[in-house]
Amino acid sequence: MLLQSIIIGLIAVFMQLDSRVLGRLNFERPLITCTLVGLVMGDLETGLLIGAQLEMVTLGMMSIGASGFDMNKGAIVGCAIVIRSGVDIETALAIAVPLTVLDRFVVTFFDVVRLNLTHMIDRAVEASNYKKAKFVDIVLGPLTYCINAFAVVFIAVYFGEGLINQILEVVPEFIMTGVSLGANIISFYGFALLLSTMISKKNCVFFLIGFVISAYSGLGLTAIAVIGIVLALLFYQLRYGNGQAVTVGAVDELDELD
Amino acid sequence: MSKKGLEVQKNTSLHKKTREFFWGGWCMQTLWNYERQMNTAFMWGISNTLDRLYCEPDEDDKKKEAYQRSLEFFNITPQFGSFVMGIVAAMEEEYCEHPDTFDPRIMNNVKVALMGPLSGIGDALFQGTVRIIAMSIGISLAQQGSILGPIIAMLISFAVSFPITWFGGKLGYVKGQELLREISESDLMDKVMYACSVAGLVVVGGMVASLVNITTPISYGETFQLQPLLDNILPKMLPLAMTGIMYWIVKKGINPILVILGCFVAGVIFQYFGILAI
Repeated sequence: MLLQSIIIGLIAVFMQLDSRVLGRLNFERPLITCTLVGLVMGDLETGLLIGAQLEMVTLGMMSIGASGFDMNKGAIVGCAIVIRSGVDIETALAIAVPLTVLDRFVVTFFDVVRLNLTHMIDRAVEASNYKKAKFVDIVLGPLTYCINAFAVVFIAVYFGEGLINQILEVVPEFIMTGVSLGANIISFYGFALLLSTMISKKNCVFFLIGFVISAYSGLGLTAIAVIGIVLALLFYQLRYGNGQAVTVGAVDELDELD
Repeated sequence: MSKKGLEVQKNTSLHKKTREFFWGGWCMQTLWNYERQMNTAFMWGISNTLDRLYCEPDEDDKKKEAYQRSLEFFNITPQFGSFVMGIVAAMEEEYCEHPDTFDPRIMNNVKVALMGPLSGIGDALFQGTVRIIAMSIGISLAQQGSILGPIIAMLISFAVSFPITWFGGKLGYVKGQELLREISESDLMDKVMYACSVAGLVVVGGMVASLVNITTPISYGETFQLQPLLDNILPKMLPLAMTGIMYWIVKKGINPILVILGCFVAGVIFQYFGILAI
């Protein structure tokens, strides 16, 4: 039980590293991690099913910058607890969601740690200690994420859903839902951070075009991306296009009038 | 200026440099922080280039300057990070060779101009398109009990991520050296940046309207409900308004940790009083 919890904690570390040093190759996704959990716990079939279900539920969740809301840790914990206790697979989601909410607080704590590490790097460069600066980024940085992932997942899996349920009983419903709402609101902060580097009075109309098309049509993001590229080509033409053609045409028509 | 540094840099193989940009790209999120986001990761990625260019001990102040330059605010989809790194490496070489004619501030301008649009397009491409296609196939196979599901999903993800990151870095570096010739003469960079920003902004607009939702459960009796009313005027009005409020908050420069905590508190309050809901 202890060993198994440790191994699952290590799966969580692997999941976390995917987005830190592998450019988010998608190893972090529930489909992959739950399969691994199933393999480790000797129930590949259930792992695959839970992985598929949780992947479907979270398919639309994207991480923009780092404002994203992902249930990757929650998926691992939910899958492990379901396989161990033999309850129906729908319970996995019911465990994943509150765990993700609780994890958010832990993430915030480590965000403060990472701010301090950033300043440590500034100071190291100032003191010409480049080796240290690089070390902090490539080792200590990912370490904060890995400790977070391992600790949360290990504790949740080892102490079982009993602990999660106890927390849930003590905390009123509206706080749980409210924290989820807060996490959604944070996503908009993430969007605003991204926009702050891109947008200006002149070009905000393009942002609005994308918004309005998506809001009224409900088209998926891929469609919007294609529309965005087409519009980019169009406006590029309008702004930098070959004005010569228009002038020459006008002159020709005038000639024909003589 | 140091001939040795430039020589070392020029004698380093393109393969080795591309590998550095590649890992710099994939490791873009090692130390994400709310202050300057992926700045330290960018520094790490470009550090080998800087170490080579300024290898002489008496050039430490130039090296420090370059490192500090590399620590400016940065945010990008990891797979496109290598491309920007390649371009910046080419620029750092140019600056090292011609410090009197090359304005180092150009480098950050190029980073800023590129990162926004490339993030918008990149996130939509990798997390929106590639992942959804890969996982959809994986899900259907997994539901049939086949372990090929996750395997094929990962193969598809890798097949897109690896070449773009690898060749993106190479392209940015090689083309960067060529582009530098043209940059002062034509406004090619402006044109490309314009096109990128149009596409990128349209995509981010789409993200605001589709990725996350905020609604209001406010109603009065049985007949008046606020949300359908708002939807009739403009669907997703609340997400747009929330983005606007957040943009104002960003511009005010409020401490991000306070914003995060404030969002949780606000979320609980709004939920309790039934003002907002997911």
